[in-house]
Amino acid sequence: MIPGANKEEKKRNPRLEDIKDTAKLLVKNKLALTGLIISSFYIFFAILDVIYPQYLGVGPGVVTTLTRFTGPNIVLAPPTDPTFSKGWYYFLGTTYANIPLLPAMLAALYNDIWDSAIVVGSGAVIGILVGTFSGYFGKIVDELVMRITDIFFSIPYLIFAIIMVTVLARVFAADNITIPPLTIISVSLIVIWWPTYARLTRSITLSVKSQKFIEASTASGSSRVRNVVVHVIPNVLSPVFVQISLDIGNVILLFATLAFLPLTFLNLNEFTPELGSMISSSETYMLGPGWFSAVIPAVFLLIFTISINLFGDGLRDVLDPKLRR
Amino acid sequence: MELKYYIIRRLLVLIPTLLGLLLLTFILLDALPKSFLIEQFVNHKLPIPAQNLEKQQAITTLGLNLSPPEQFLIYVNNLIHGNWGFMYPNSEGYGSYYSGPVLAGIMEYFPVTLEIAIFAVIFSIVIAIPLGTYIGSKPNSVSDQVGRVFSLSGYAMPTFFLALVLQIAINPYFPSFISGQGYPSYTHLSWIKSISGTEVSTPTHMLVFDSLLHGDFSLAAVAFGHLVLPVLALSYGFLAGLLRFIRAGMVDASNQEYVKTARAKGVPEKQVLRKHVRKNALLPSITVFGLVFSGLLGGAVVIEEVYDLNGLGRFGLSTVSGGYIQFFGILGTTLFFGIVLVMANLIVDVLYALMDPRIRY
Repeated sequence: MIPGANKEEKKRNPRLEDIKDTAKLLVKNKLALTGLIISSFYIFFAILDVIYPQYLGVGPGVVTTLTRFTGPNIVLAPPTDPTFSKGWYYFLGTTYANIPLLPAMLAALYNDIWDSAIVVGSGAVIGILVGTFSGYFGKIVDELVMRITDIFFSIPYLIFAIIMVTVLARVFAADNITIPPLTIISVSLIVIWWPTYARLTRSITLSVKSQKFIEASTASGSSRVRNVVVHVIPNVLSPVFVQISLDIGNVILLFATLAFLPLTFLNLNEFTPELGSMISSSETYMLGPGWFSAVIPAVFLLIFTISINLFGDGLRDVLDPKLRR
Repeated sequence: MELKYYIIRRLLVLIPTLLGLLLLTFILLDALPKSFLIEQFVNHKLPIPAQNLEKQQAITTLGLNLSPPEQFLIYVNNLIHGNWGFMYPNSEGYGSYYSGPVLAGIMEYFPVTLEIAIFAVIFSIVIAIPLGTYIGSKPNSVSDQVGRVFSLSGYAMPTFFLALVLQIAINPYFPSFISGQGYPSYTHLSWIKSISGTEVSTPTHMLVFDSLLHGDFSLAAVAFGHLVLPVLALSYGFLAGLLRFIRAGMVDASNQEYVKTARAKGVPEKQVLRKHVRKNALLPSITVFGLVFSGLLGGAVVIEEVYDLNGLGRFGLSTVSGGYIQFFGILGTTLFFGIVLVMANLIVDVLYALMDPRIRY
């Protein structure tokens, strides 16, 4: 071994160079950069709230119910206008039941972001494993997996999510297991979400599989499992990241939509810290003077989803060489 | 000739997919506690022996005395013979929800969804083609960036919020759109009679088209007025997807050699865009239909809930809300949504094959 050779290799780490290139191109793309900055702000505030409750004072810890803000006596009252005299809690006024809107939104945001990250993350992990292995091993396993994903794609996922959420909620209720409604939604969304990633990774695996470096790796004695883990999965990651960044917005929307719909078996109530359920609870004030209590959380959600979509779109442009400008 | 065999083959492949969908839903529903399923048919106001009788009836109608595989096979057999099961009225009394045969219910509720879907698709195409051509012909210009933000907001917009906002925005100007909310369905035929004065036959089951067929333009206008907000709210996501795809197709097509050739030989720019670029860009956009159509059907659930339309999405929602779970209703809705979606995909593929002479099956 030549002592210098190893050092040389470290300097020109191709993956690191790639990431640097990507970052440079991303910074050039103004819209994607704006999206990244705005969504990082959201994530920052959502996390700050839980880790350092002393700064914002929404916590301590994860807010599991909005009754924390109402005090001991819950009085259903119409929304009140924003005031600047009573401290930052009341900057955006109060919504139904005298809940101050701004801290409630921050608490809801944390739940939304965290849950959708879990859904997309676990969906991606399951999808990558299933997709790469079935794509690489082929034959009957592949056929079976693809037929299963076909089934998931043959129905609008919102319908499937509604049914799944209801059934799971009912099953858990029957076994006397108390699970927060947001967790039930997360579990059912994971079941629905992995096929997207399985399809995506499988199609890439098929094109990677026939390349020379896989052949070389097989010739030098690698097992098939090692080939998949060491050579195929790294090649699959960058499209998966793009998909994740686009999906986070989608999943948050799906959370909000499921919380908005009247699903009676899911024990979502107006005190669940979730943006969709907050909007749905203040829907009755929509055509009156309290309209802002429904519009502000919705716009708050919209800005986040738009910015994360802008970021994901820019990332796709950068990572996909065909679209690279 | 070849296309015919292709369609037949595709239809045959659809059968296992739809059966798999049913099986998946069935396995899911099978996890439900049996006692709960039985309990929802029992009227607790009745004396105990009568309650026991009701329980026995529920067990036989749901087939709970059989093993799950037997239940499934019998259900599929019934499906093929046109018996999709029943939606049972809740004994505790939820009058506002549909009860009766599932298939008849779907046939009653589906036209409303189909109607708003048709208008949403037409509206999106009318907007997306010229807009997509325009922004696609100037990649990376300001108008392209504006178009990008517009279409990405379409992806990012919560449908229910758009629906609610349209209500607020339109309320001061056209209050009748909102106060007369709740599109007249064919369960409320008296409403139609009171306007047109006569008994109406309903060939399409879609009010706008039916009243046009009857030559009753005022009724058609009223019916269309009720559809404006739902269609606008529903089409944004669809429009956004279409716009993105047409734009990408335009950019892709304008880099082709034949476009350069056309420009080089001095064809006017307008004609290059219209004849050489757009024609080739629109063709692949047909495929995106199948992809976004799923979102359109999902969006219909939300839109119908917000605007009080008795469409298929509402029907699907009523199988799980309203206090209890409609076993056959869920299976039927899932299957029907599945059929609509896979058929839409098949039609898209066939259209694509018909329009693109390069594709041979």
